[in-house]
Amino acid sequence: MALSFKVKAISRSKFLKNLSLSIIFLLSFLLILFSKSDYVIVNKFKSISNSYLHPITSFVAAPIKLASNIKSQISDFKNLKTENHILKEEIMRLKKWQTLAIQNTKENRVFKKLLNSTDNSLSLVKTASLISRNDFMYGKMININAGLKDGILNQMAVINHRGLLGRTIETSIETSKVMLLTDPNSSIAVKTIFNENFSLLQGADDGIHLVSIFKKGEQTPKIGDLVVTSGTAQIFPSDILVGKIVKASKDRYYVLPFVDFKNIEYVQVVESK
Amino acid sequence: MLTKLLSSQKTIYHIILFFSFSLTVNYFVELKIVNFIAYVLFHLTLIYFIFYFFHFTLYFIFFLYGVLFDIYLINNMGPHIISFLIFLTAFQFLKKFLLNFSSFKISYIIIIIVFIMFVIESFISRILYNYPINYNDLGLLFLISVLMFLPSLYMFSKIDKL
Repeated sequence: MALSFKVKAISRSKFLKNLSLSIIFLLSFLLILFSKSDYVIVNKFKSISNSYLHPITSFVAAPIKLASNIKSQISDFKNLKTENHILKEEIMRLKKWQTLAIQNTKENRVFKKLLNSTDNSLSLVKTASLISRNDFMYGKMININAGLKDGILNQMAVINHRGLLGRTIETSIETSKVMLLTDPNSSIAVKTIFNENFSLLQGADDGIHLVSIFKKGEQTPKIGDLVVTSGTAQIFPSDILVGKIVKASKDRYYVLPFVDFKNIEYVQVVESK
Repeated sequence: MLTKLLSSQKTIYHIILFFSFSLTVNYFVELKIVNFIAYVLFHLTLIYFIFYFFHFTLYFIFFLYGVLFDIYLINNMGPHIISFLIFLTAFQFLKKFLLNFSSFKISYIIIIIVFIMFVIESFISRILYNYPINYNDLGLLFLISVLMFLPSLYMFSKIDKL
């Protein structure tokens, strides 16, 4: 009797082990499959894990974050004198531009009235601050402290004072994940300011530059040309500054983004008016 | 009760795993090296854990860590889950053969497995999600693994003696 009970218990536990192993492997397979096909369950799972686990991991990493901030402040302090000098020169230059800009704004207003044109400028959805970064090794993403409750949805453009930063790819109630321009999976429709060359850009392998993956027309843009969003893909509003062309060959060109991705503190989530 | 729980080796390894996971997924711009060290420590602990504390429940734990690593670092599922589960399954099949080696040989096997894991993770993320294999990062991971290998094993042996 005792022997038969033992045999049954062993076989049952083995059966349970095999069953749970099969479930794990099946679940892994399904998660990968759903992730590839952008299935809604996986997105829900991602946003839940992000919003619940993130505070715990941030708490654990808080001392290192503090050390990182102190190091950044020390290096800022070291460069204070040089930066001060550069800023003084910048102020002088900007004052000249300001006078010119005021004149142009007045002229623009008059021309717009004359042409009865519609204003396609951006409308601000929410200004948010950075809560954490996930741009280690593979993806280039950041988390911001604004989510569904602030009216943020997926695929909204994110900018800062320097230009385009990326787009929201995941939103939970309180936080959102932003895919930066430098991520190899990001894709932006752009045009050059100089001769309106339309092309598609994605993050380059070095994680710093953007590289063109598709170019409309045969013309190669020139080094130094400024690149702005074209608005054709309808994710990013048009005419947001992206970067400057730094390297160009026959079939592709490289763009250095204006945004300093190492120093992101506040961002604006925007949409077209 | 708490003292007893904390003095158990398994609990300490779990704390190390969670601590290194937390440091890896929070990117520090000015101290990027900390992220690399934490990532290497996680993998070294993971393999050591498989070798000396293998249990069926590790499948659940590693599945969970794989999913979380993929969500945080890639925002898609795949590379970490696959590599963690592959090595766990491979170990289960090769357990009898691998545990016959001396501890000296096992420690070398651990570092080789860690190297292979890094390559496999990069390779799968390239195939599945088009993330380029960054040879600089991979080289840095190898270098840090070599440098951290002996100190971490020393630390693990101290934990085992508790």
